[in-house]
Amino acid sequence: MPALFFPRRYPPLLRVAVLVLLTVFVSVFSEKHPNMESVSLTMAYPVQWISMQGTSFWQQADNYLQSRAELESENIRLHAELVGVEPKLLEADILRNENRQLLALLDSIPQPPGKVAVAQVIAQNFSPSSQLLIVNMGARAGVFVGQPVLAAGGVAGQVVGVSPMSSQVALLSDLDSSIPVQPADSDTPLLVDGRGNIDSLAVPFQPRNTALKVGDRLVTSGLGGRYPPGLNVGTISAIVRNGDHSFAQIMVQPAVRLGQLSTVLMLWDTLSSRPAATP
Amino acid sequence: MIAIALILGFLFALTAETIPCGPLYALLHPDFVALLLLYWAISSSSELSFTIVWLIGLLQDMVLGDVLGAQAIAGVIMIYLLYTGLGRVRGLSSWEQLFFIFLLLLMQRLLVWLWQAWAGAITWHFSLLLGPLIGALLWPLFTLALDYLRHALRPRHI
Repeated sequence: MPALFFPRRYPPLLRVAVLVLLTVFVSVFSEKHPNMESVSLTMAYPVQWISMQGTSFWQQADNYLQSRAELESENIRLHAELVGVEPKLLEADILRNENRQLLALLDSIPQPPGKVAVAQVIAQNFSPSSQLLIVNMGARAGVFVGQPVLAAGGVAGQVVGVSPMSSQVALLSDLDSSIPVQPADSDTPLLVDGRGNIDSLAVPFQPRNTALKVGDRLVTSGLGGRYPPGLNVGTISAIVRNGDHSFAQIMVQPAVRLGQLSTVLMLWDTLSSRPAATP
Repeated sequence: MIAIALILGFLFALTAETIPCGPLYALLHPDFVALLLLYWAISSSSELSFTIVWLIGLLQDMVLGDVLGAQAIAGVIMIYLLYTGLGRVRGLSSWEQLFFIFLLLLMQRLLVWLWQAWAGAITWHFSLLLGPLIGALLWPLFTLALDYLRHALRPRHI
């Protein structure tokens, strides 16, 4: 292999030192310029495309090899589930109508439901520092930075980087993630922060005598306008109160199994895509 | 032929790093790109260019979506340290190399971690030690498979 870019006549330590300086420059530059995110996503796309083909090949092979007995039992189970769900769907229709009438009485404009699209997860990076997914939908499909991402059960995270063909999703468990929530049965504003742990989130800054209980369900509050209100976020799994910390340590189990996602829902909500209303 | 095999190998390694196989795999999988770099550096008769190592690391950063440059600089320093003791490492069998590989992979992982810590918030987690450990334990198997592949791909002059 010929020496590219660097003539070999310099000593190795000097070459390493030059590369260290170059890395410092690249790191600082990429942190300062947010559109570098889009450049690196685009550069990474070919590798992720291969990964996506590999995964879908395995899934197809798996589907093909599933035995008839398994499929039959799954069919029976799904039928049973459908019977259980149909009355609930009717109920949801009734509630939606009722809600619209009540909103009309309150003189507020009923919001049409947002649009969703299914995106496939093509890469993951779970490390203590980052909990990221790459999905196969990008700016060409209308994905934008800050878009809410849902999955079966509730909120999964939000879009943090967009390239033409793919986008990067920070899960709720990412260290930089924070989402405004409230308990399902009251309207105390709270936050849920990620801690770099895939199956545990945290509620920060609550006094040790907080009224929250283990088992309380947390839903999005809609504050900030990024997530629509009322979406499931998680359940409080533990509250630790001890003298070492000035705040209660509140653990939240996410409603979505963040580690197991293979498809996610991208949400175009009528509220979140609109600039915040001024009073 | 060898060049194509190397490019394909690094593509596979990058893919294996990010393939969505659940949290357990994400926690335990070794850094395949670093393993391949080490194998390449130890087995190649000519010296690797640091710039190439750096560019491969940069591509890995882009694929992982981490701070740009973290894997790049960790890879370069890892290969530099390997070269300072290359004569000694080359003479060992792959079982005996295992210990050095563990130290190098651990150092590489810690450098990546430090670089990310410098660029933003980060926490310590014991899984940072697991990846290098599993990578080192896989090393004899890894060298065996790649030696076989390299032997099969070697150009034959008749």
